[in-house]
Amino acid sequence: MREELSTAIESIAARYPERRSALLPALHLVQQHSGGFVGAEDLAAIAEVIGVPVSEAYGVQTYYTMFQRKKLGKYHLQVDTNIPAMLAGAEAIVNHLERALGITVGETTADGLFTLSTVECLASCGTCPVIQVNDRYYESMTPERTDALLASLRQGVMPDMPVVAHFHSECGVLMARRGMPNATDIDVYVASGGYRAIDRALEMEPAKVVGEVKASNLRGRGGAGFPAGVKWGFLARGTGKPTYLICNADEGEPGTFKDRQIMQFDPHLLIEGMIISGYAVGAALGFIYIRGEFAWIAEILERAIAQARSRGLLGTNIKGTGFDFDIIVHLGAGAYVCGEETALIESLEGKRGNPRLKPPFPAVVGVYGCPTVVNNVETLASVPFIIEHGAGQFMQFGTANNFGPKIFGISGHVKRPGAYEFPLGTPLARLLEAAGGVDGELKAIIVGGLSVPILTAEEAKGLLMDYDSCLKYGTMLGSGGIMVMNETTSIPKVALRAIRFYAHESCGQCTPCRQGSHTVAMLLERIVAGRGSRVDIDRVLQLCAAIKGTTLCPTGDAFAVPIEAMVTKFRAEFEALVD
Amino acid sequence: MRLTIDGRSVEAVPGQTVLDAARAAGIYIPALCYHPKTGKAGRCRACVVEVEGMRGLKESCALEAKDGMVVHTATPKVMETRRLVVDLLLAEGHHNCISCQANSSCELQDMVYHLGVERPSFLIESEPTPLDLSSPGIVREADKCIHCGRCVEACQNGVVNEVLAFAYRGSHAKVVCDDDVPMGESTCVQCGECVQVCPVGALVLKQPRDVRIRPHETTATKVTCPYCGVGCQIDLHTKDNRYVFAMAHEGQWEKQPNKGMLCIKGRFGLDFVDSPDRLRTPLIRRDGELQEATWDEALDLVAERLKATKEQHGADSIGFFTSAKVTNEENYALGRFARAVIGTNNIDHCARL
Repeated sequence: MREELSTAIESIAARYPERRSALLPALHLVQQHSGGFVGAEDLAAIAEVIGVPVSEAYGVQTYYTMFQRKKLGKYHLQVDTNIPAMLAGAEAIVNHLERALGITVGETTADGLFTLSTVECLASCGTCPVIQVNDRYYESMTPERTDALLASLRQGVMPDMPVVAHFHSECGVLMARRGMPNATDIDVYVASGGYRAIDRALEMEPAKVVGEVKASNLRGRGGAGFPAGVKWGFLARGTGKPTYLICNADEGEPGTFKDRQIMQFDPHLLIEGMIISGYAVGAALGFIYIRGEFAWIAEILERAIAQARSRGLLGTNIKGTGFDFDIIVHLGAGAYVCGEETALIESLEGKRGNPRLKPPFPAVVGVYGCPTVVNNVETLASVPFIIEHGAGQFMQFGTANNFGPKIFGISGHVKRPGAYEFPLGTPLARLLEAAGGVDGELKAIIVGGLSVPILTAEEAKGLLMDYDSCLKYGTMLGSGGIMVMNETTSIPKVALRAIRFYAHESCGQCTPCRQGSHTVAMLLERIVAGRGSRVDIDRVLQLCAAIKGTTLCPTGDAFAVPIEAMVTKFRAEFEALVD
Repeated sequence: MRLTIDGRSVEAVPGQTVLDAARAAGIYIPALCYHPKTGKAGRCRACVVEVEGMRGLKESCALEAKDGMVVHTATPKVMETRRLVVDLLLAEGHHNCISCQANSSCELQDMVYHLGVERPSFLIESEPTPLDLSSPGIVREADKCIHCGRCVEACQNGVVNEVLAFAYRGSHAKVVCDDDVPMGESTCVQCGECVQVCPVGALVLKQPRDVRIRPHETTATKVTCPYCGVGCQIDLHTKDNRYVFAMAHEGQWEKQPNKGMLCIKGRFGLDFVDSPDRLRTPLIRRDGELQEATWDEALDLVAERLKATKEQHGADSIGFFTSAKVTNEENYALGRFARAVIGTNNIDHCARL
């Protein structure tokens, strides 16, 4: 390996409390500088520089889908085919690419220019179909735009292509600056009221900041809805170890594209939220663990962090208060499970993203064995408003026990798919109306990301989009990723695509998830292909029922619950395929 | 401290897990990934139990026993989970006890038998993976691997040879040597600790001299390793008074000098005991040829020659070299013999090399 690369790896390693954390960044770096892959020799060199066994480095490299072992085409075309993309016609894009390039998925063109792959959800659900070309996203793709993209790439140019992204901010809290020119710039952020909450926070005792967040009843926006202030309160005190704050920006739940609305368009809001939260929990270092496919959003964050640092908002002795805080942006590399907080911590430590056995919980033993709090992007981005305007003002939004604004990502069969910021507890019907209404006749809807039970059109009537109402309606609010399906949608196909996703993403640690997801996928494949029987349908249901509650982390339930719901509620459709 | 397991009052010590407490009381809970030497892992999900006042299933291997705890190890959900685990593991691999070398010492087999599973619920659809026969002492059969992770933990953090690791993920996850090379081409030093902890037949010893003898046919005798001075405790497995294979003695492993582990010599270097080439009587070279002699003849000859050499060339013309393969007492005796009887300080030991 070239010497400048090992020097670069050394300097990355020096930024982290433990050098093994540099393993993923090193793999990204070498891959970028070695023609898009990391071969055996380079891997051994990386392992040596960082100080891990080759076996473990290989284990890490092969765990993450973004790391390649072999050379690919100059342009790696990756088409998202997950549910929202599927509803938006991704299959047609894949077929079009196969025809245009004369290759099938997984192959490279003879001239070495293009490799075609299908990938899991890229969090572009509102702007699907999406093709990721190397590190760049090309969204709102049509066959015509795909042709234009290919023509440009053949000329050696990564083109700029406009994207039509719909949005609306009813609350003006999390998406207040959406549509504002240069909103990612610190001057625009400050001029529009940013970095004011930080002054108020630094005048308060940290415990008071925690108290205010607790009082606001801000519930974790990652999906579980656990009160953020209460979570902070679990942090182990007096351990003599540092406390770390981690922002979970792994946004990988199919149907979810809310966190990127904040990071891509208003990065300083997240940074301000992290500074205040870091102050509240007594952390001097925070990490933004962002999914690897968002490398280009990570660059936006890095620029914003550099600006904040240059203004003395990050670094040592912030605003003369003696408070030190800095942020490291850490890229994942293609693994859904890393959205689970203990898997995320493992990944941040440079390991395979395998969830840990709990207890101990991260609040006691988190990253590097230290007390750690992991919060979602949207959760942290809500903190500045709470501190600046007070918990009471925050609670003006929403319904009892479900306070605050929320970004809903609406995808699938609506006329204006996109990101919509509304108060928690907004009627689903109102959100659909904001998204231009259902395109066709509503058949079914998934309201909280792929891992929650599907609702029939009938069941969804009257649903309010908050944690408690969703539970009452037999589903979950989850991430607020709403996928709308009209009468043309085949639920067995949706179920098959869903289980393929989970089988692809299972970390493989525990038996029911690793082999259970694989077996359910095989059964559904058989059913959808018309080779199955009613016994297979029963087997799917039996397996789902048995898997629930048995896995090491929530991933088992994440597929068993929604697949069971799809098969149960639309059983006739499955039976029609096997009879 | 007492807890109740399946209605029985069971004694436990602070820090003990529910699994250990149950096992100490003779209550069977299957645990495929947990091993006392490699610790809790939470992978297999076989050891889950239900505890009154706690939500959902709990891994008994990771759950600390508490005074007054009420544990149920055979509720419908627990039994359903065990059945699920067995069904999925059987669907995932190619398990054939009839021809498996681990037959009768297989924890999966025990669990299947205990559950009374006659047939797995799902069909096996995968193509068989070839055996890895590349290493001198160990056979790897990936299709029998149940992903328990014991071998990886043992290799990485027990013996710290850092060869075995998990690669890939989901149903493609597998245990690899280094960067997925055959074991014989890897940095593996053949300590065999992976075989020692493997609960199934995925990692087995290559049988010496092509004998086909399975564990239930052998008798284990606890012996001290004859190689170096550590004093490793070995279970020497014999059949009809002949050596078959060796494993580390795991009884009270924490108190053993080798902590239930062995090196390549202790594990694979003992087949000499039955070698026809072994010396059975002393040999004396007469007329250029080694000839059988009695101990009296041999010792007389050595004494006579030592005496003559000392008289002719002085005591320092003689040197002694001792070995770690004999006991401290024997080494001490030779030291005394060199210094007090012969009168030289020329004595050394192979461990200094």
